Amino acid sequence: MSSPLIYDVKNITLRFGGVVSINNLSLEHRRGEILAVIGPNGAGKTSLFNSLTGVYQPQEGSIDLFGADGEKMSVIGKKPHRVATAGVARTFQASRMFNAMTVFENVKAGAENHRGLGVMGAIFRGPGTRRDDRETDAQVLELLEFVGLRDRANAISASLNYGDRRRLEIARGLATKPSALLLDEPAAGTNPSEKFELTELIRRVRDVRGVSILLIEHDMKLVMSLAERIYVLNFGAAIASGTPAEIRANEDVIAAYLGSQKQGGK
Amino acid sequence: MKSLLSKQSLKKLGGILFLTALVELMTGGPGQQLTPNLGLKLSFGERVSYFGLFVTQRWLVFLTLGLIIFVLSSVTWRNGSPVKYVRGTVSGFSKYVPRNKYARALFIVALVVLVFLMPTFVSNAYWRAAMVEQVAIYVLLALGLNVVVGFAGLLDLGFVAFYAIGTYTTAWITGSLPLAPPFHHALNPFWAIPIAIAIAMASGILLGAPTLRLRGDYLAIVTLGFGEIIAVLANNLFSVTGGATGTNQIPHFSFHVGPFSYLWGLDPVPYYYLVIGFTILFFIAFHFLNESRIGRSWTAIREDEVAAESIGINPLKFKVMAFAIGAASAGFAGVITAGQNNFVTPDMFTLQFSINVLVLVIFGGMGSITGVSLGAVVVQVVTMQLDHNPPSGFIPQDLFMYLGALLVVMMIFRPAGLFPAKRRHREFGQASQGIGHGNEVLMGETNE
Repeated sequence: MSSPLIYDVKNITLRFGGVVSINNLSLEHRRGEILAVIGPNGAGKTSLFNSLTGVYQPQEGSIDLFGADGEKMSVIGKKPHRVATAGVARTFQASRMFNAMTVFENVKAGAENHRGLGVMGAIFRGPGTRRDDRETDAQVLELLEFVGLRDRANAISASLNYGDRRRLEIARGLATKPSALLLDEPAAGTNPSEKFELTELIRRVRDVRGVSILLIEHDMKLVMSLAERIYVLNFGAAIASGTPAEIRANEDVIAAYLGSQKQGGK
Repeated sequence: MKSLLSKQSLKKLGGILFLTALVELMTGGPGQQLTPNLGLKLSFGERVSYFGLFVTQRWLVFLTLGLIIFVLSSVTWRNGSPVKYVRGTVSGFSKYVPRNKYARALFIVALVVLVFLMPTFVSNAYWRAAMVEQVAIYVLLALGLNVVVGFAGLLDLGFVAFYAIGTYTTAWITGSLPLAPPFHHALNPFWAIPIAIAIAMASGILLGAPTLRLRGDYLAIVTLGFGEIIAVLANNLFSVTGGATGTNQIPHFSFHVGPFSYLWGLDPVPYYYLVIGFTILFFIAFHFLNESRIGRSWTAIREDEVAAESIGINPLKFKVMAFAIGAASAGFAGVITAGQNNFVTPDMFTLQFSINVLVLVIFGGMGSITGVSLGAVVVQVVTMQLDHNPPSGFIPQDLFMYLGALLVVMMIFRPAGLFPAKRRHREFGQASQGIGHGNEVLMGETNE
């Protein structure tokens, strides 16, 4: 627990009109950690993700992101693409690929440097542009190899099955060379064998590529086997956090999931 | 074969007859204010000669055509109706386009040679002028609008504004406007090219930066308004633009470099080569842009803006870039038009003009550079032919009705255009199968 922080979330509150989606939530994500966020439907998990990536702007609290170089950046008020370039990649609950592109092009779009304009470079295709292009292509192939989609490189991404779509999204996210990868229900809609392979892939992303993982998931077996630390959300607030063993034994968590006299009427 | 007299068949017959009657009425003679029934009378009662073969009443011909379509769509032939067979053949047309790299290169080289030799085949004065003013310029405009509509997926209904900016900049630089030229003396239109492109791009950025946050229909309305604003300004800023009469003092292109000098004049052929030369440059530039990471970013934004942002693409920046690049080519087209026509008036810049260019892009195939170029040539040549030598029964005022009908037919049979771009073709295919998601789904919130 001594590794430096990657996300430092302090007391954020996110409201939509009168609806409080996230209520005074604090969260710490350490570098190199696989952290899971669980909670019943409507607990605010995806809202948390959207706040962490700049899609939503919480009204209160602070979110600090420590990028690859350790520099601190406040996420609140930043556009999603700024957060992405600062080193955060994500996948979506309903997978969002560029459907008409091939698998290769999807990942290449992620691997490219979008910061410069480079209109002239694009038009005249000088040696520098071509070298960059070749390097990007090599990276893309390496990533496709890593996630196991190398043989589907030229397939249209809409033709992939659920499991492969998740892999593609992960590859596209990794292509941006992130420090943290946020996975929004990666196992949704996958069958048991795909689920197993996905678990292995997520672990490899952390072990081999050193990317910290933040994961939302409903599948308890997957969460308990993969996560090193877990936050449990209910009604937008964190009701517990700890190791899988601690969470399994926590009475508040059991109450939130199964309902109890104390928690049910809240 | 189903019975021709079943309830379903009769319904179809009714529909077809209604449509033929409608087309008959629409394409018939024009009415007049004093005799409002004249149009009706001409439509149904007129005796027309068809190709010199037979003379008969219009309505009889239309009725026969309607019945033929009904029979053709009802009988079975090759596991379907003949109409379905034709439809299948038409939509499977892309497979005849050469896929092989070398065959494609050869095809393009042949096309370029043909384009360069064109003036030697065309001797008719009408067509020599139309070749430049109505075909080559429109190809250029369609290429520019394709960057905005086809590559970046933004609906721009005010494209004419940038064209207007190009022509007025030329008039200004060459000292033909009430407003004094910027460098104290009038310049040759060649100098207007970089300046007009710069001003058009700048106005594209000025318009784009605040408005490109809008999506879809909203953007279309704003651009439409911008087009109108420019036209109204041109009409009313008398001390700057010369008002409704504009100016007719713009000099021809010329160059004098050392011992070499050349003056473009009334002959359209030198202008043809000038436009074609630049069009090919734009063509190549846009091709490489589309194949580059910029092109991939545009595609990514067009297909899923949220996902594009999540991998670090700034949508606003790339949209503004597309807008500015499109504006640049329209501005350039404006310079050529101004230099060749020698005059500019505000009534050249109508909404109809913008829509006309949009029709070329949609017809040719959004996102496909070759497609929009060929589409522009086809539509403009057919339009000019109808205008120059109208067949019997064709009323020139009806032209836009036919273009509209053409678009409707295109949308049904080939929604991705005549020569669709690969990715666009897939997008349309996926849309019709209900796969994929556009910008309308903001977030996967539904399951939370």
